[in-house]
Amino acid sequence: MQRCDLIVIGAGPAGLSAAVEAARQGMRVTVYDENARPGGQLFKQIHKFFGSREHKAKIRGIRIGEELLQEASAAGVQVELDAVVTGIFADKEVTVRQGERMLRRKADTLIIATGASENMTSFENWTLPGVIGAGAAQTMMNLHGVRPGEKILMLGSGNVGLVVGFQLLQAGCQVVAVADALPGIGGYGVHAAKLARCGVPFYTAHTIVRAEGVERVTGAVIGAIDQNWHIVPDSEKHFDVDTICLAVGLSPMSRLCGLAGCVMEDNPQKAGLVPVVDALGETSVPGIFAAGDVSGIEEASSAMIEGRIAGLAAAHRMGFMASSALDARLAELTGALASLRAGMFAPGSKGKVFTHTAEGCALSASLLRRGFVADEEIDRYPGVTRARGVHPVLECTQNIPCNPCADACPRQCITVGADGGTITALPVFDAARGCTGCGLCVAACSGQAIFLVDEEAGEITLPYEFLPLPQKGEQGMALGRDGQPVCPAEVVAVRTSAAFDKTNLLTIRVPAEYAGRARFYRKER
Amino acid sequence: MRINEHPVLGGYPKGEAVAFTFDGARLSGYAGEPVAMALKAAGVFIHRYTRKNHSPRGIFCAIGRCTDCVMIVNGRPNVRTCITPLAADMDVRTQYGMGAKHAAL
Repeated sequence: MQRCDLIVIGAGPAGLSAAVEAARQGMRVTVYDENARPGGQLFKQIHKFFGSREHKAKIRGIRIGEELLQEASAAGVQVELDAVVTGIFADKEVTVRQGERMLRRKADTLIIATGASENMTSFENWTLPGVIGAGAAQTMMNLHGVRPGEKILMLGSGNVGLVVGFQLLQAGCQVVAVADALPGIGGYGVHAAKLARCGVPFYTAHTIVRAEGVERVTGAVIGAIDQNWHIVPDSEKHFDVDTICLAVGLSPMSRLCGLAGCVMEDNPQKAGLVPVVDALGETSVPGIFAAGDVSGIEEASSAMIEGRIAGLAAAHRMGFMASSALDARLAELTGALASLRAGMFAPGSKGKVFTHTAEGCALSASLLRRGFVADEEIDRYPGVTRARGVHPVLECTQNIPCNPCADACPRQCITVGADGGTITALPVFDAARGCTGCGLCVAACSGQAIFLVDEEAGEITLPYEFLPLPQKGEQGMALGRDGQPVCPAEVVAVRTSAAFDKTNLLTIRVPAEYAGRARFYRKER
Repeated sequence: MRINEHPVLGGYPKGEAVAFTFDGARLSGYAGEPVAMALKAAGVFIHRYTRKNHSPRGIFCAIGRCTDCVMIVNGRPNVRTCITPLAADMDVRTQYGMGAKHAAL
């Protein structure tokens, strides 16, 4: 039977990170993954990540995946693909089905990083072709270049629903609506705002009643729900769609942990049945660790840190790493993890109702319900200021862990959490430092919530990630935060640069009185 | 259904164009892409009919987990088309229940 020092199950962000750290300490590491390609979901995540520089913020998931694969290869990690771990037995022996063969393998330590699976929800006709998971949509359009449909209803407004909804627009699909049974949008407001300004309507406190169609989806009906989760009579609304996308949460895929004899708990804050782990990710079975979504649903950024911690802990456990060296790395990694787990959307904030930001600004009711900050609400946020000449308007209205804007500005105009504050603070612009209008902050903002505005000239520079790219001199329509036409606009500049990483900067000119409202552009119909 | 140019990804690396058959009809796709993607791009959305109720099923998860998209591929039933790479001259057939049409209960 083949042996190695560490077997990692799952080659996603957590598993690969764990493998890299352990291998760098000298362990012989083998990673098994059931898929034909490593990287888990990273290669479908074409958006820029949140967090701070240490979390690889403002880098797209696909690039982070490429970096991880390079790190794994440089560290000598062996990755076995099309390899399903089917069992875990005493003394860390595992069985692996690879192709038509069953293999037996053994290691001194195991790290289970099997990730999560998508939840589904059932409704009338939900089995019709055309009802798909949001993950399926991402796989089709971002990996294989095939549009999942032409007209799509997105069910679920958590970050998955919002991010995939935007990606559907980027792929050239029409998103007719985002519906969510909860009374408020579940994901980041900035993600919702990107959709809203493209004209996608949100229906909160609505759920799907039925899919229509005989052989495939031809429509969808949603309805408002009351406090008892019943459909409000006469509230039904029909959409012509060919695809219904379900983004109704993820559940940890923790069955292997149970099979390995780990003590499990059903923990709603972690979104399901998870192994009980300590601060290093070690389960109740000594030498078996769990990292990433399998031990609680979070973002890929935190999964990667959990993976690194588990990898180092495994190396330390087997004597590949001194305690002092481990402690030094842990101090850095646990700090990075803590900063990601702060703010209004942190795992520990689940179930809490926020009315104000940490700065004391009232949260936008419109953002929560309709996906955009209303014009009369926007001025209450510290990043939204008026100044002479061109300057950034930071439409960041919730405490989320993110600060690439501060990092991007060459003149340090933008501050996030000054004086040792947290990266969940709202960004602030300091006009005294003199904005040059370089646009790096606009392109760096993972939430696409920064605009360069020159109120007197009526010029707005906005992030634009669609094709075809508008041309300079083109006449079109400026849209508001709600996606509705505001006024005619002329494209006066289109900037692309390697430094912007595919986020193009579009500068439009509108009558000066609309400079505070125009936030998107479309070619006039 | 194919995305020719994507604002972030640009193009998509594809294998060579190959021909295959779907219920006897000649279709084309790219070698190495999942069979389900070639079918989707060709406008095929029903992969199988269930055994008891004869209700249609298509792609649901697209990552080999749910088994909704299984079809008869090269004579073998229950093949998850979303994770099976397309090859030239593949014979892909709609699955009825657990097998071919004449065997449906």
